[in-house]
Amino acid sequence: MSGIGAALLNSLDIGLLLFIIAVGLNIVFGVLNIINFAHGALYMLGAYLAFTLINLVGMPFWAALLLAPIGVAILAVIIDRVLLRFIYSRDVADSLLLTFAILLIINESVRVVWGSGIHVVQPPQLLSGSVELLGSSVSTYSLFVIVIGLLLLAGLWYLFNRTRVGRIMRAAALDRDMAEALCINTRMVVTGVFAFGAWLAAVGGVVAAPMRALDPGMGDKIIIESFIVVVIGGLGSFPGALLGAIILGLIHGFGGRYLPEVNLLLPFLGMALVLLFKPNGIMGKGATA
Amino acid sequence: MKKTSMKKLLVAMTAAATLGTAGTSYAEDPIQIGGIYILSGSAATYGEFAQKGINLAVDEINASGGILGRQVEMVYEDSQGKASVAIQAARKLVYSEGVEALVGLDSSGVAQGMVPTMPELQKPLIITHAATPDVTGKLCNPFTYRISVNVAQNMKAAALVAAETDATNWTTIGPDYAFGHQSWEFFGNYLKEIKPDVNLMSETNFPRFGAEDFTPFIDRVMNSDAEGVLISVWGGDLVNFIRQANTRGFFDKDMEVMFTVGAATEVLSALGEEMPEGVHLSTRYWYDAYDNEVNDRFVKAYMDAYGTPPSYNAEGAYAAIYAYKQAMEAAGTTEGPAVAKALSGMSMEAPNGTVTFRAGDHQAMVSPNWGVSGPMHPEHGIRTLTNLQIFDGEEVARTIEETGCKL
Repeated sequence: MSGIGAALLNSLDIGLLLFIIAVGLNIVFGVLNIINFAHGALYMLGAYLAFTLINLVGMPFWAALLLAPIGVAILAVIIDRVLLRFIYSRDVADSLLLTFAILLIINESVRVVWGSGIHVVQPPQLLSGSVELLGSSVSTYSLFVIVIGLLLLAGLWYLFNRTRVGRIMRAAALDRDMAEALCINTRMVVTGVFAFGAWLAAVGGVVAAPMRALDPGMGDKIIIESFIVVVIGGLGSFPGALLGAIILGLIHGFGGRYLPEVNLLLPFLGMALVLLFKPNGIMGKGATA
Repeated sequence: MKKTSMKKLLVAMTAAATLGTAGTSYAEDPIQIGGIYILSGSAATYGEFAQKGINLAVDEINASGGILGRQVEMVYEDSQGKASVAIQAARKLVYSEGVEALVGLDSSGVAQGMVPTMPELQKPLIITHAATPDVTGKLCNPFTYRISVNVAQNMKAAALVAAETDATNWTTIGPDYAFGHQSWEFFGNYLKEIKPDVNLMSETNFPRFGAEDFTPFIDRVMNSDAEGVLISVWGGDLVNFIRQANTRGFFDKDMEVMFTVGAATEVLSALGEEMPEGVHLSTRYWYDAYDNEVNDRFVKAYMDAYGTPPSYNAEGAYAAIYAYKQAMEAAGTTEGPAVAKALSGMSMEAPNGTVTFRAGDHQAMVSPNWGVSGPMHPEHGIRTLTNLQIFDGEEVARTIEETGCKL
């Protein structure tokens, strides 16, 4: 079967894009104990900012890839300082409600600012063609998505395991009071982590923009996928996000080709199976960790 | 004694005076029409198009004296694309806003859920977009009408187009809900009838609505021996589909490709030159297809107001308001049952020609438009349609018996 190579690459590009987005969701949950419903909306903002910078301002794609996520991260700092800081000590359910409100506000703002129409972003010239790989033609852009995903994966691993910042983040995740006692400014850590999660979501949005149409519902679509990833992989777990994303990527990539009759069911079937045998997700520590 | 009767008289006079003013103010009250569309989320653009068409009609009607001497006013509710929300919206519009009539519905699923509640509300509903055959078929009722093309009409036309090609092996890619499945079912049945030697492949493709990545299904069709493919993916999904299909070389294959809602202007403007040339595209109304006074006026007014050519959804919504004007004036009242009755069998001049609401099922006899994508339009920034075909509304409609509607 010549299609397997194509299916594999396709699964990887879906999976790694999902990883970029879901890992942000997981880091924010792990450190802040917040389930960020607005994560998808931040992804959408990244894509729309990129659209503005590329199509309306005329910047190259690479500049947008650098600038749009920074813009979203700055917004995240404001959201954190103005709204979220009041609920960190409360129950997870409160954070769900508040971030859902933020999601609605961002969704509606996007519709007001950019309109409800469908927009597209062109991939950069360098990545707009396709190449022969594993016996089938693959768009250069999806290879780029795979590369970006792997780079971020490596970068995140390095950050968490080899740097002081990563160690501080892990310490704050493990026991915030203890970290405070050790003279770590946890307030800054908290804001920084939330902004970093938003930055990751926005990077996902910019990377997705040239291959996914932009519309005011794109954030809602991705948040559902991200939650499936997180449920499969485990809430709050970094390797879990990777594993969940790759599994969901494989479900989409192979399911659509070989089991199209049940493609609608497969992600949820996968989720149900995981919940049945590993209720906290494959790598999960559970919501109380 | 004398004093009390004087008092009574005064009360009666005051009461009469209030009644009088109430009476006059009633006559000057605007006629409210409720619109239920998707106004948020991915498909919000469809609700916005409908509003653009409606606003145009309302402004024109109000400028020329309104309906029955009363101004027209719209009240909108967001259906969110969900039947339960739409039903609630309809009740709110009728019972607390006091609207006289309803227009709307962008999705087949919403229409199937909401239509059965219309007799309870005793107000007419004109569907301007949702295309499921059921609402003017087995779910039909005295209060529900549709001014836009339905799946059965469009697929009859699609089958006529497909029968003209050399393709024998046909498959489909469509969204995994009523619209995608019914499109394929009706297309297959009609095509088999017209050209019995075609082969309807059992390998069909129904990706999730909002799937974002269609590559698996694109590859699957490219690796099959399909010679023709009917694609009923629409909206943002269709934009995604076509861009992903382009990178896979889908359109370079020797295959007849038919998009059932491909000539929607919102899709064409998003895609620009990325919409390939030489594929079959359909829409429920193509702005450049009709040479009549109403269409000239409508297209010009729309372009002046919004700067883009009107989409099919704007046209349906625009015409629906005029349908209410004509029906209310014919009935001489805005009473729901009377207006609903006046719509039955009524003919009107719409941008897409003379439109008749068939008495047997309340489906408007309108024509789907099919063409082949051509060069870019020099001003509108979208592909043109060549080999345009305007089918006869009666010819592509099901017979009343076939609809299963009993009115």
